[in-house]
Amino acid sequence: MGNSASITAARAGVVSPEQRAEGRRAATMAGLRKVLLPAGTAGAALLIWEVTVRVLQIPPVLLPAPSAIWAKLDQLFLPLILKHSIPTITESLIAFVISTVIGIAIAGLLSSSRLLREALYPNVVFFQLIPKIALAPLFIVWLGIGAESRLSFAVFISFFPVVIATLAGLDNVDKSLLRLCRALRASEWQVFRDVRLPFALPYIFSGMKIATTFSIIGVIVGEFITSQAGLGYLILFASAQAETELIFAAITVLCVFGLVFYGAIALAEIYLRRRFGA
Amino acid sequence: MTAVADFLTLNGVSKIYRSGRSEVHAVESADFTIPSGQFLSILGPSGCGKSTLLSMIGGLETPTTGQIRIAGSPVTAPREDMGYVFQDATLLPWFTVLNNVLFPVRLRQGRTSAYRERARELLEMVGLWDFRDKRPDELSGGMRQRVAICRALITDPDILLMDEPFSALDAISRDEMNVALASIWDRFHKTAVFVTHSIREAVFLSDRILVMSRRPSAICHDVTVPFGRPRAAQIERDPVFVQLCSDLRDQIEEGHRA
Ligand SMILES: Nc1ncnc2c1ncn2[C@@H]1O[C@H](COP(=O)(O)OP(=O)(O)OP(=O)(O)O)[C@@H](O)[C@H]1O
Ligand SMILES: [Mg+2]
Repeated sequence: MGNSASITAARAGVVSPEQRAEGRRAATMAGLRKVLLPAGTAGAALLIWEVTVRVLQIPPVLLPAPSAIWAKLDQLFLPLILKHSIPTITESLIAFVISTVIGIAIAGLLSSSRLLREALYPNVVFFQLIPKIALAPLFIVWLGIGAESRLSFAVFISFFPVVIATLAGLDNVDKSLLRLCRALRASEWQVFRDVRLPFALPYIFSGMKIATTFSIIGVIVGEFITSQAGLGYLILFASAQAETELIFAAITVLCVFGLVFYGAIALAEIYLRRRFGA
Repeated sequence: MTAVADFLTLNGVSKIYRSGRSEVHAVESADFTIPSGQFLSILGPSGCGKSTLLSMIGGLETPTTGQIRIAGSPVTAPREDMGYVFQDATLLPWFTVLNNVLFPVRLRQGRTSAYRERARELLEMVGLWDFRDKRPDELSGGMRQRVAICRALITDPDILLMDEPFSALDAISRDEMNVALASIWDRFHKTAVFVTHSIREAVFLSDRILVMSRRPSAICHDVTVPFGRPRAAQIERDPVFVQLCSDLRDQIEEGHRA
């Protein structure tokens, strides 16, 4: 027995420090490439934009140059844009959290009951097909023009992707693991907690990543139709004043927020997957 | 545990899988009794219904006819005092080796600390204690299967059911695993039902072998293995061992033709 253990230990592979350092260097290079290449492409695109606007002398009302947008952002961020960013960001985050929780809960419910699933799942899919943005005005009819209607609408459009992705994960679980659970007399809840949910984790995160974008879209659309504040409102206001630079400045803030938001979820995923090895 | 002569009994057990119009007679009829403490192998060609028979004993499938009793009570669902080892290790990829071994305890009573010492003992016995914090995907196939065996033994079951646990392994690791299982057996000495289609494996491990034929898929031979315990790998060279293997091969062939 002692023998066989040492054989398998050798088989598991002992890597020398040099090999490990070499491997790390290669991984760092690959990582840098993954970041630098798209960043470089984006930078080049901005440069082309800047040059094109200057050379063709496109009027700033139609398309301001990136440098002009940056100047506007610099000038108005503290006095104006920040004030409007805060409600948009807060509401998007709240909508995202609510959609994630509701989405996972509904998926859990659907996967645990055959009856519920057969009754609801086709309807969920059908709902997916509705162009949900068209329903935004209804939320104002129902809930008024406050934050409630914007939040509900944002949740309404962003929890579907979480449900669909989570359900796919919960259902795709390795059948042999379910058989093991049955042999061990695990309860439905235990199977959910220890097998289905960890298995579904990568799926859930893919749904959550979509939900980050959708919750921002939901809040912005809500602001377009009702609000007196927020970046959506600011964009609409700037467009009425033909302040194209301000529109782009607001959009820039939205982009940065979206990027950070998505990045935070991606990092959380890496952390959790490393932690749970899923 | 004092030996019980009829610890596990099967009475006219059969299983027919129906799907639409077609019927598969997976197990035609099985009648046998095993005393507690016996290591029984079920040997037969692929598709003869070994796994079906084992999952009925384990309460994972319901017999179409007949009855299975363990320690006097009919089997209707998986029993608490049963350990099951499947063909593939079926470890949870998100748990460490140690937590996989403790998984049945976690399901049963939530807290696992009382069983840590036992888990350590089991993992040390199979040479994997140093790997306790690794994840299953960092282990070789043989190591994973050893973890699965430890997991089946953690709650100290009275009966251990194993469905070709080593069939996915290469010949060398397989021999290694047979020796490992035999030595586990010398220490734990429960009742075991072991499914395999390897004749050598069956003879090396068991006290008794039931040979199943393919059509009708029933038990056609009941063979007692004359070796005592503990067993060393060397008994495979014993003429009695070799003779027994060739007899079993003949019986399987005969079952094939019938
Ligand atoms: N769930 C099922 N539904 C329908 N038929 C099944 C099912 N499970 C097994 N069978 C059929 O029952 C027969 C016996 O299958 P079983 O898996 O018990 O054989 P086995 O002896 O374990 O084979 P192997 O050595 O290849 O694992 C086969 O013909 C198989 O097709
Ligand atoms: Mg089988």
